[in-house]
Amino acid sequence: MDFDWLPRYWPLLVEGFWRTLWLVALSGVFGFLLAIPVALAQVAGGRILAGLSRAFTTTIRGTPLLVQLYLVYYGLGSLMADIPAIRYGPLWPYLRDGFWYATFAFTISVAAYQGEIIRGGLLAVPRGEIEAARAFGMRRSRILRRIWLPRALQVSLPALSGEAILLLKSTPLAATVTVIDLFGAANVVRSETFLTYEPLLFVAAVYVLCAFVIAVAFRLIERRVPSRRGL
Amino acid sequence: MQQANETETKAPAVAVDDLHKSFGELEVLKGISLSARDGDVVSIIGASGSGKSTFLRCINLLEVPDRGRIAINGEEIRLTERRGEPVPADRRQVERIRTRLAMVFQSFNLWPHMTVLGNVIEAPVHVLGVPRKEAVEQAEELLGRVGLYEKRDAYPAFLSGGQCQRAAIARALAVQPDVMLFDEPTSALDPELVGEVLKVIQSLAEEGRTMILVTHEMAFARDVSTHVMFLHEGLVEEEGAPDKVFRQTSSERCRAFLSRASHPQ
Repeated sequence: MDFDWLPRYWPLLVEGFWRTLWLVALSGVFGFLLAIPVALAQVAGGRILAGLSRAFTTTIRGTPLLVQLYLVYYGLGSLMADIPAIRYGPLWPYLRDGFWYATFAFTISVAAYQGEIIRGGLLAVPRGEIEAARAFGMRRSRILRRIWLPRALQVSLPALSGEAILLLKSTPLAATVTVIDLFGAANVVRSETFLTYEPLLFVAAVYVLCAFVIAVAFRLIERRVPSRRGL
Repeated sequence: MQQANETETKAPAVAVDDLHKSFGELEVLKGISLSARDGDVVSIIGASGSGKSTFLRCINLLEVPDRGRIAINGEEIRLTERRGEPVPADRRQVERIRTRLAMVFQSFNLWPHMTVLGNVIEAPVHVLGVPRKEAVEQAEELLGRVGLYEKRDAYPAFLSGGQCQRAAIARALAVQPDVMLFDEPTSALDPELVGEVLKVIQSLAEEGRTMILVTHEMAFARDVSTHVMFLHEGLVEEEGAPDKVFRQTSSERCRAFLSRASHPQ
């Protein structure tokens, strides 16, 4: 085992670590915000909205994330490079950066997967709890905000925690579209030092730690409402 | 003169006329009427499947009747039809009327993600717009009244059935309703917990609250009611003062039901 390279590459690894965190945070948050309407459209939307949402979910969940990422980066990316207004516009430095394409692809993926989980949560809330809110004259938007959604998310938390960890472990795919995330940094180390295992072992340990932090964070949120379960 | 006339003919708190409701092929209500004035306690009794819960749930539009009219404090709820289904014509009207009618459910239906206090202040704060501080003070007083002041910060999962139902009653009282609707409030409780809930409901009846109560507790219905309705297969088979229904009924079905209800196997 040779870890002599570690001090030298430390700044690169730290930078990659932060990029991974940002990928998870941005696509996690935006994906979650999108997942709520995706779920609601199917549970409470009309026939058209429900159909659209189901088509979205089926398509996204039915195609490999790597394929989506390539389609977004090479497809959308080169398409935009052909439009002069964008190519020479003020946003080009961002639109050129693989990071934003990866964030976009992950966000869409999270919206589809979490949408299904939240849909299950919405359906799992006992009808009587909604009925009680209706019986008090609560408006539909308020029932959703105060009763239905909070309860659905509470029910979904264990599954959402799993999804967040899966998202973390999907982020190395971003390295395939030139993003130097944690995994990308490890690859740089590998190619420059000719070491195979040590850089990978190092980032694997960092991923485990991150997953652990995510799991604990979700458990803390779950505990905010004490429950009594057991046989 | 006009004035005097109007006060004399003050609209009943609840007036229901000729209510019909079917679920698919099954006709559950076949034309039921009811009128409750302020301070009335109307008990609805009958075998399961007689339509009594459906009837109660029609009053606050949790079920929408196919035919008939419902008026609360003289205001008729406007109904219409959409794609062959009966629906309220104006959802805002229904929401407004519902704030005057509080319901207590058989299975409590407390919101498990809120504490007992949170449950009680939810409708006052988020429906009626009562300032939070005021709502909390009032809720604590109500919880004291139903004997749950010490449990105000507990979550429903940690309460007994009787405590849950008393919390649900406090939640209903918190909106200062004109009429309280009770849907078999003790049917989900262990026998030893029924008494504590009935005692609370009885105290409400005694202070002159207007209540409509679906119940299987016959002795209780006889003691607290001003009016009793016995439903049979979606129709009113017998009704009147408790004495009339419980002692002098001419209906064979009503007599048979009462004797079955008071002497279970």
